[in-house]
Amino acid sequence: MRYNEKELQALSRQPAEMAAELGMRGPKKGSVVKRRLVKLVVNFLFYFRTDEAEPIGALLLEHCRVAQEEPSGFSISFLEDPERKYHFECCSEEQCQEWMAALRRASYEFMRRSLIFYRNEIQKMTGKDPLEQFGISEEARFQLSSLKA
Amino acid sequence: MKLNERSVAHYALSDSPADHTGFLRTWGGAGMPPTPSGAGRRCWFVLKGNLLFSFESREGRAPLSLVVLEGCTVELAEAPVPEEFAFAIRFDAPGVRPHLLAADGPAAQEAWVKALSRASFGYMRLVVRELESQLREARHSLDLHRRSSWKAVSSRCKPQAPDRWSPGLENGHSLSRDCSPMGLVEEGGSRPAGRGLAEWELQGPASLLLGRGQSPVSPETSCFSTLHEWYGREIMELRRAWLQRAQENPPECEDRDRP
Repeated sequence: MRYNEKELQALSRQPAEMAAELGMRGPKKGSVVKRRLVKLVVNFLFYFRTDEAEPIGALLLEHCRVAQEEPSGFSISFLEDPERKYHFECCSEEQCQEWMAALRRASYEFMRRSLIFYRNEIQKMTGKDPLEQFGISEEARFQLSSLKA
Repeated sequence: MKLNERSVAHYALSDSPADHTGFLRTWGGAGMPPTPSGAGRRCWFVLKGNLLFSFESREGRAPLSLVVLEGCTVELAEAPVPEEFAFAIRFDAPGVRPHLLAADGPAAQEAWVKALSRASFGYMRLVVRELESQLREARHSLDLHRRSSWKAVSSRCKPQAPDRWSPGLENGHSLSRDCSPMGLVEEGGSRPAGRGLAEWELQGPASLLLGRGQSPVSPETSCFSTLHEWYGREIMELRRAWLQRAQENPPECEDRDRP
């Protein structure tokens, strides 16, 4: 799959939702923990060597699962291979919870579900479709039917 | 730069909703010259969220390419070959090459430009935040209506003139005389706001929320149960206060206690 690295590099320079130095271990067997600068920008998690300006890699956070890993760490895995985990180590339980919450909210799919939920609630309460003012009420992405059961 | 390509491809092929799909001619890609020329290559494009994927065909089992739609603008453009309905995705960042694409006709061109312009995470986030605050306002004003008209509703069990009701109830809606709760909210669809308010007051907001079998699952179910608890507690408190006053004072003196 072709993609433009420069697009991703530019994205990694955008203001981050969360950024911190964490311990990171890749999914391969036998991989060791390394210190990485981890940066959450929109629905991508970038990771950098601590002294470098360009990221070594990026994780798209759609259809991912964020789970706590004792003692104060978490893992990210993906729908098609739940056993393949990227491990992260935080410096405190608090930091860990903060990251987990942010990562769970970070997907476009999560925002879509939130939007549909709010739209529906507002419609029930006020009888009006709040998306009409934006002129986007007919867009496929905002329909209740687009939610999976 | 590494990317979790397998997961990305899996997401592209999954049945999560596509925001737009269609055939487009593209001038980027392997074997193509850096400056767009000729008729381009016809591919099947799928827009999911802020990600634009291309496939060789509708049945393609693996995406050919990915464009991340962040920090970019979409505008009409000139194609190398005239009479193509072309548009370009241009990136704000320097050194990032624009993507030139062309649709089959003017309607498709317009639809794609619109869809791609609204594809960014930031745009979605703006809309979500706007709705979030609208919902908060709607809940807040419903709460105010309930507070100010609770007494009127409770004391309605004796004959009352309609003008004693809170001005917050819309359309001068009249409640049923026997004070019995109305039927549960009808399924789905929009309904007049006034009627919704009245049902809310008679049954309590918590039961109204729970009675909505058609509600989509909240992305944060903890929020839902918190709301339920909060309203439940308020109702119990109001009821307790009302009962207390009813015991302490004769019924016709209740007027004094109205806020």
